Amino acid sequence: MDLSPIWLTLKLAAITTLLLFLIGLPLAWWLSKGRSVFKIIIEALLTMPLVLPPSVLGFYLLLAFSPQQGVGKWLQEVFDIQLVFSFKGLVLASVIYSMPFMIGPIKSALQQLPSSLAQASYTLGKTQWQTFKSILLPNIKPSVLTALVLTFAHTLGEFGVVLMIGGNIPNVTRVASIAVYDSVERMDYASANAYSFILFALTFVMVVGVFIFNRYHAKSPLE
Amino acid sequence: MSFQGLGAVVKRLLITIVFFSVAFANSLGQGVRVATAANLQSVIGALKADFKKRSGIAIEPIVGSSGKLVAQINNGAPFDVFLSADMDFPQALYKKGLATKAPVAYAFGKLVICSRQNIGFANWERDLLAPVVKKIVIANPDVAPYGVAAKEALQTQGIFDDVQSKLVFGESIAQVNTYITTGVVDVGFTSQALINDPANKAKLYWQAIDPKLYTPIEQGMILLNRASKNAGALKFYNYLQSADAKRIFAKYGYK
Repeated sequence: MDLSPIWLTLKLAAITTLLLFLIGLPLAWWLSKGRSVFKIIIEALLTMPLVLPPSVLGFYLLLAFSPQQGVGKWLQEVFDIQLVFSFKGLVLASVIYSMPFMIGPIKSALQQLPSSLAQASYTLGKTQWQTFKSILLPNIKPSVLTALVLTFAHTLGEFGVVLMIGGNIPNVTRVASIAVYDSVERMDYASANAYSFILFALTFVMVVGVFIFNRYHAKSPLE
Repeated sequence: MSFQGLGAVVKRLLITIVFFSVAFANSLGQGVRVATAANLQSVIGALKADFKKRSGIAIEPIVGSSGKLVAQINNGAPFDVFLSADMDFPQALYKKGLATKAPVAYAFGKLVICSRQNIGFANWERDLLAPVVKKIVIANPDVAPYGVAAKEALQTQGIFDDVQSKLVFGESIAQVNTYITTGVVDVGFTSQALINDPANKAKLYWQAIDPKLYTPIEQGMILLNRASKNAGALKFYNYLQSADAKRIFAKYGYK
């Protein structure tokens, strides 16, 4: 039983979650302030991975990253980076794919905070950033934790995108979900079962953890 | 985002359930369902049209890697005929009692090396070692017979270990062809059917691999048990062994 796909999946989920925390936190804050049409369109775009089949994302990434043309060619020639069939490419795909899970809970929590909180802070001469860091953020801790755990768990479940752009390379792009698919194709049901069970156990523990943690903090477990 | 995430999951589950019920309802009709190895995806269209013209019977191809189709057949997938990319898969199904007759060879596949770049290929076993070739795609040798042949050719030339770090695995020959024609890989090993496929719009540079370098890709088929209730399935099975079908196979790059 080769455990490398499990480690690779955990590594991908950890890196994706960290990157999305850095990108998603300011984005969610920006989206939570005001409702211009522009912001609504941006938010809709970032939410698309929830409703689109992952294969659509995979297909466009395949076209975008092809070393034959456009962005892919430029990346290849200037930086010698190839995003298809590489771990970097999976990270980029996962960041797009799990974006709604990071932004959603944080944004709705920020919007539910009473506006007097921020206003009181501004009145006392604090800047926007200071206010966000020391007033708003501590007040939405449970939602941030939810966002982190959901992003991590969701990335563990990534399959369609990786199938399109991964190339099934051991230790590089052969994540656990692909290993399950691969084992079933090889009729090695014992391995398929082992990978599946590990994935199930991991994600189940995480989701239950979030639900228990949010019992007293939120009206619904996914807030 | 309350319930949005969960809602999407539940919705996707419901859609999946509906889709499968529809698929199974369809399977109860009297079409001929043909589980088709991915390398045949272009020629099966021509065979389907020709057979329809001669018999009035419509076949319904389901295309996937041979290994995946075998797994589905093992689990009771409602197929009448199985066209594999090798002889071993159908033989295994026959031994298990899932087919009425022993496998029959219907075509021999040809392995080619090809690329969107003009690499030359005069000495492909040396060209592949060049630093300009970064990614080489072959079908997954565990589930796709063309992958086995490609691996054999690389091993016979003694360069398999040298190029291993450049290898990318397509889950079937169809994905291999996608990677070659979109140019995300530099070089790929595939079936000559890709070169002869009128649907392929990409300009490809290619060369046939010397047949001495790999075990012949003898492609076998079986009539599955479900076909005993379906006269059309037997007709199609016989048609595939006719001179008419052989002509179409030849046109698409099979022996």
